[in-house]
Amino acid sequence: MSRVEVPVTGRLATGVQRVTASALGPYQSAVIRIGFSATWLLFLLREYPHRQELYGPDGPWSWGMAQQLIADNDAFTALMWSDGRVWFEFVYAAAVLASLLLMLGWRTRTMSVFFMIGVLSLQNRSVFLGDGGDNVIHLMSIYLVLTRCGQVWSLDARRAARAREGLFTEDRAGPVLWWVVGLALSVTTFMGDLSGGWAAFFWGLWGVQGVWWYLNRRDPFGQPRLLGDVVANLVHNAALLMIMVEACLIYATAGWYKIQGSRWQDGTAVYYPLHLDYFSPWPALGDLLTAYGPIVLLVTYGTVVVQVAFPFTVFNRRVKNVLLALMMVEHSVIAVVLGLPFFSLAMIAADAVFLPTSFLKRIGGRAARARGRVLARTRRAAVPGQRPADGVEPLAAQPPTART
Amino acid sequence: MVAALALAIVAVGACFHLAMVFLHVAPANTVSKQHGALVDDWVYPEFEQNWKLFAPNPLQQNIAVQARAELRTPDGELRQTRWYDLSAQDGAAIDGNLLPSHTQQNELRRAWDVYVGTHDAQDRPTGLRGTLSEQYLRRILVLRLARLDVGGGKDVMERVQVRSRSTTIEPPKWSDEKVNQKPLYRQVAWWTVTSHDAPLDSGTRVRVLAPTAGGAR
Repeated sequence: MSRVEVPVTGRLATGVQRVTASALGPYQSAVIRIGFSATWLLFLLREYPHRQELYGPDGPWSWGMAQQLIADNDAFTALMWSDGRVWFEFVYAAAVLASLLLMLGWRTRTMSVFFMIGVLSLQNRSVFLGDGGDNVIHLMSIYLVLTRCGQVWSLDARRAARAREGLFTEDRAGPVLWWVVGLALSVTTFMGDLSGGWAAFFWGLWGVQGVWWYLNRRDPFGQPRLLGDVVANLVHNAALLMIMVEACLIYATAGWYKIQGSRWQDGTAVYYPLHLDYFSPWPALGDLLTAYGPIVLLVTYGTVVVQVAFPFTVFNRRVKNVLLALMMVEHSVIAVVLGLPFFSLAMIAADAVFLPTSFLKRIGGRAARARGRVLARTRRAAVPGQRPADGVEPLAAQPPTART
Repeated sequence: MVAALALAIVAVGACFHLAMVFLHVAPANTVSKQHGALVDDWVYPEFEQNWKLFAPNPLQQNIAVQARAELRTPDGELRQTRWYDLSAQDGAAIDGNLLPSHTQQNELRRAWDVYVGTHDAQDRPTGLRGTLSEQYLRRILVLRLARLDVGGGKDVMERVQVRSRSTTIEPPKWSDEKVNQKPLYRQVAWWTVTSHDAPLDSGTRVRVLAPTAGGAR
């Protein structure tokens, strides 16, 4: 890199300094981690009674049919490794567990990989079942693997903070998890279940984890360890940028294609989805919302304006926040009125990547206080007259950051 | 030095990925027509996406998928059932439901979409997806009809038939638009049902064609 001190290169240098020195948006990456994993977790729990019909080996889209399609499109799914019922139940349960642990931020980097494996395995197994919500989670689960999304609001962050306070105990779970994952990876590689590309990807991630652990142990302030930190920051920042651009692409595509539609032009578009039998859980509510033409026009035009404008407003904090609030409200309404709760949750999670840090910190502080109160109450109830709750640490008041 | 190299690789990689995704979601254009194969290779299967949500125009008709069956009674006679409106059942299941399941909202609806999209006007499949989507739809019909117990527990399902009934949505009351609300039907020829077409526990309601390992248990 050149070190010529002219303003432009100066700014460039500052930019390079920023994207290498830190993993930006710790709160934003944490909130999307929690948002996407919670959405997928709730979806899996909701569909638990229907899991066999949706993804099971003997469902309408049978294992053999999926195999024919996947032989054609090379999509990744662990469900193709066996047509057994037990394997299916195991993968479904593992997907639930990975979502839960990623939400809590336990071994975030490893869990994000398992989360992605769960999402891809189920969705690619039955491709004709998904909707926009599934599509968002599919993409974001891949991007999340590349982010340091457990820096705050995670069990990892809590462990790192305790280590800094000197309450450090030898970390046994980490190495054990690493060896177990390595063993599982060896077995799947040996069985020939993984394609070359995926094998390289998973072994690469596993190797990086091992090297990172070794570098931290050998010399936490050594040159190789710092270099590793720089690379991890770079990858995180690039992935976070991709998540943001992806969200903008979603809105831009949705908006620009709408502009070309005659119904979005004549201001009646919003009326129609509300009168589709498949998207009207509350027909009376749909009628009520569309009773007045000018209101429908306003919402129709408003939707297009917000979707088209959003990508351009990310550079203006105030306008962006207003549009963000509008979009979150619209998605909340869509969740109920069009009967698309998981799509809406996924979109709200994607929107959240644009929330300002100060707002997220405030929410985090509030959540931590609420958690403290609940814990205090349960402790008092469980052990009357014992230690009061001042020992409860606020999870977000003084944010510990984890370097994982 | 290594850091600079990493920076270059990550920056180039991110820009390349974003360019590919952009060309994938953008309308066909000069660049994407020229580099279509490269874009497809990069984007499929894991980065495939479609955000034409209710666009360019929202769907303006209710498409109901209906099915009937031909059954063999224990006496060896054939009998035909009435048409069952499976989409109406989905609609009823979604009504008042805060958490509609994919089995109610997506399964049959998308299966019919895919079937229509992968067949020509004479119902001939176009490629692998066509053949698979036909079998998929047939298996959904058998499952749904078996759940409705159309055979009464003793008759055997030998054939099924599917049709769609499209009705244009009535224009808003405040609009002076007039539409023809006469339903439009698209009917597919009868399909023979075998044990390969019986998902989950519907296998007892269909004829076992051959003792091969298929969809039935």
